Parts: sequence; C-alpha cells; structure tokens
Amino acid sequence: MKNLARRVLFTLGAFVSLGVLSFLGIDALPGDGCTALLGRFGTDAKIAECREEHRLNDPVVVRLGNWANDVVHGDLGYSIKRDEQVAQIVLPRIRNTAMLAVVAALMAFPSAIVAGLLIGRYPHSRTGRAINTLGVLAMTLPEFVIATILWLVFSIWIPIFPGVTVVPSNATVLELLPHIWMPALTLAAVVFAHSMRTMKAGVTTIQTMPFVESARLRGTKERVTLLRHILPAALPPVVNTIAVDAAWLLTGTFVTEAVFNYRGLGRLAIDAISDRDTAIILPIILFGLGVYLTMSLIADMVVRLLDPRLKQQRS
Amino acid sequence: MNKRIVYCVLGFHAVVALLAPLLPLAPTDEQDPGAMLQGFSAAHWLGTDALGRDVLSRALHGGRPSLVIALLATALAAIIGVALGSLAALAGGWIDEALARLIDFLLAAPTLILLLLIASFFGHDPFILSVTLGLMYAAPIARVARGSTQVLLARDFVRVARLQGGRGVNLLFGEVLPNVWRVVLTEITMQFTWIILAFSSLSFLGLGASPPTPEWGLMIAEARSYMTINPLSVITPIVMLASLVLAVQALVDRE
Repeated sequence: MKNLARRVLFTLGAFVSLGVLSFLGIDALPGDGCTALLGRFGTDAKIAECREEHRLNDPVVVRLGNWANDVVHGDLGYSIKRDEQVAQIVLPRIRNTAMLAVVAALMAFPSAIVAGLLIGRYPHSRTGRAINTLGVLAMTLPEFVIATILWLVFSIWIPIFPGVTVVPSNATVLELLPHIWMPALTLAAVVFAHSMRTMKAGVTTIQTMPFVESARLRGTKERVTLLRHILPAALPPVVNTIAVDAAWLLTGTFVTEAVFNYRGLGRLAIDAISDRDTAIILPIILFGLGVYLTMSLIADMVVRLLDPRLKQQRS
Repeated sequence: MNKRIVYCVLGFHAVVALLAPLLPLAPTDEQDPGAMLQGFSAAHWLGTDALGRDVLSRALHGGRPSLVIALLATALAAIIGVALGSLAALAGGWIDEALARLIDFLLAAPTLILLLLIASFFGHDPFILSVTLGLMYAAPIARVARGSTQVLLARDFVRVARLQGGRGVNLLFGEVLPNVWRVVLTEITMQFTWIILAFSSLSFLGLGASPPTPEWGLMIAEARSYMTINPLSVITPIVMLASLVLAVQALVDRE
C-alpha cells in the first residue's frame, strides 16, 4: 500500500509540474491569443488594446495563478481567436477521439491477445507467421502510409468505407459511426503487433515452465492448459503494453485524424497549432499528460492484481 | 528477413542519398505542364506528379532531408541518453533516484504535440528540428543505458575495478561502455527509425520539410489526392520510406 501511495503522489506531482512547465513553455513562444486573432493585419495599437482587454499584460506568475485557479474550478479558459469557451471546443473533440479509441481498441486488443497466445503456442503455423509479419509491418510503418494503403484498398479498389469524414464535430454518435471504421482500422493496425508480440514472447517462455509441464503430465486437456495455466501467467506484461497503447490511442492520433479529416482531438490540436491558438493547445497537452500518467498508474495496479507473485511480496 | 537483402537495401539507400545530386536525373523542381500525372514513360521512368515533376528523381532525393536530420538528432540523443543513463547508474544513491525520475518525466512528455508546436513556431529550420528531436528521443536511450549499466555493476569484474579505485568517467569508458554498447546501440538504432518516422510525419502534416523540397512524407501528402490517376506518385515514396525503415529495423531485430 505504501508503494501505491508513493506512486499516486509521484503521478500527481508529475502532472502538476508538467502542467506548469507547459504553461510557461507555451507562454514563452512568440505570439499569444491577440496576435492569433488579429494576425499580421493587426496594428500595434489594436493588439495592445486587445491584450489590455484580456489581461494578457499581467505578469506571467499572476496569469499562471489565475489559469490554475480556473482549471481547478473546472473552467478551461477562453479562446480569443475562436471567441468561444475552450471547454465547448475541446469536450466534443475528446468524445470523438474517445469513440475512435474505443473502436480501435476493440478491434486490436482482444484479437492481439488471442493471436499472441496461439502464435506463441503453435510457432510453426503458416497463418501465424503471416499474421506476425503483417503485424510487424503495420507496427513499423508510419500511420500515414498505412492509412494511405488502407484507403487505396478499402475506399478506392473495393469501395466499402467512405474515405473522408464529412460530418461536423458535434455530430451524434450514430452519425459518426459510419465514418469511424477507416481511421479505427488504421489505429488498430498500428497497435495490434505490440500486444500480440508481448503475448507471444510470454507464452513462448511460459510453456516450458515446470507448472505447465506438470499440468500436461497430469493429463490436462490442451485447451485447459492454454486457458487456465498459460494465459493468466502471460497476461500481466500485456497489460502494460495495452496501457501504453491505449494512452496513445487517446492522445497520439494526430496523423490518422488528419488523414481521414476525422474531427477529434488530434485534428483540433493541429488546427490550433497552425492558428497559434495557445488557449486550446494547453488543455490538449494537459489532457495528454493526464491520460498517459493515469494509464501507467492503472496498468501498475492491474498488474499487481493479476500477478500472484507480486501479491505475495505486498503482504 | 534475410541479412543479405537487408544490407543490399541499406547500401542502396546510402548510395542514393549520397550520390543523388550527381546522378543523371531530371531536376527535382522542374515542372512540365505538358506532362502532368503521367504514368511511366521513357522520359519519366516512374511518371510525373500533379505539377509535372519527375517522380523517380524526387523519390531518390527524398530521403536526404530525413537522413541528415535523423543522423544529427540520433547522435545528439545517443550522447545525452548514454551519458545521463549510465552516469545515473554509476553514481547511485539520490543522484540516481533523481535522474531516474527525470527520465520518467521526459518519457511522459507528449512528443508529437511538442514537436508540432516547435516546428510550427520556429519554422522549418533543420537545425532546430534536429536538436528538438535529439532531446526528445534521448529519454528512452537513457532508460536502457541506465538499466543495462545497473545489471553490469552487480557483476564481479566491475566490483573489482571499483575496489581498485576506478570511478566516474574511467569506469564508464573502461568497464561499462565496452559491455553495454551492444544493447544500447540496438536501442539507438530503434530510436533512429522513430526519428525518421517522426520527421516524415511532420512533413506529411506540412510542418517538416517545406515545398518544393523533395521529401517522402511531403510527396505522399501531395500525391494522395491524385492517387487514382497516377498511383506511382504515391507508391514510389511509400516503397522508399518503408524499405529504409524496415531494413534498419531488421538490422537490429533479435528474432
């Protein structure tokens, strides 16, 4: 328990200090909300007036304090460029990205665990090798290449999925669903091989271990050995891989969303960055940090629950 | 993958990247309005893109920006990473604890969005991009260097060297690096491919190499809209990028 408390404390500390660092870093970049709004046509007087109005002339410490206070009270701030509350811009995008992540995760993780288990158990199967090779290819190539190839195959040669999303960012779930398959398939292809290979490596080492041998010698059915003895022992490291990939699915999908023009958080980040709209960039970075740190914390706890060896150490 | 094929592919990329300006190719930015989006022909072996530029010539030049940036960035990441990681393990105690936390900290940083920010605010300057990439990709190298140094420090011959009075930089160059370089080099090579991919993704998004520079990511982005008319203009840079990355990865794959 003491370990866990330390871990939570570290996570919180990292989140707060990285958050403050991001605020200061973005503040140090040339340009602010007013230059973003008025662009290169803004006269110095206009920009000064706008800065006065939005209190951008306060010392950086004061602004950091105000911003942190607002964020703690659930106010993400205000985008001068878009003349809108940041929460109203960011939250629908988080929902869209989360939907995409869930669909991609459902496509990738269960099948990766099954594939890893079977390929680890039957390493000489031809199908297994083919799946392994394809997975490694998809893992290695950049997303925009995979996206382009999938697009070529499934939107042009065999047109079953629409290639470009044309629904607005606040579309309902049902309106969004038909457009989710292509980006989800791309993301699933990217992450599939990570957990599949972790699983495979685990199964390969575990199946020569004494407890598996003894199960076999007792005459346990192969299916039972695989599901009751090998699978539980091989799962903990896969949980870590899945946690890292899940965090990436929620925060790292810039390229895929850009390729398919899917209106999620990644697309918004790219737009905000080219608009120099710092008010939006900051909460996106915070969300990314939060997701990454939470995921690694959850993974640690799940591994503790799953792995009986760690449980013994704990008591 | 067969090692011999891997070496051939890597050799091909090295020769092409070094010699592309000397080869008898069409100029990369020469537009031919009369021959846009052509398939293969005697004049343009792999056809032309939407502006009538020679795809073959652009594809052969297209690795140069990524390779220069990736080599610079990897060198920087390797120096910082190895120094940080192995010195942390050597120092031990609270220094090690602090540096380990720093490495965790850096690993948590959202790489791609920071990269996008810096590329967007500081323009396409290759030097700034390489330094940024180098700093960002140092953390995973540091983690591996620290881990493998720690394992090594428990071994008898290192303990003997320590008892004989070896410490700090001497111990690092005399005992540690000669024994961990293989593992660390594998990690560095992996990071090299991630850096290439990060840079080409940036270019694809319009924030890496700027037009009309021939660069694979940028070429794919430009040609995607015309893929149905001339698939070669998209497939060629894909094959070039994929073969380079896959060959480098196959070089260090331990399977």
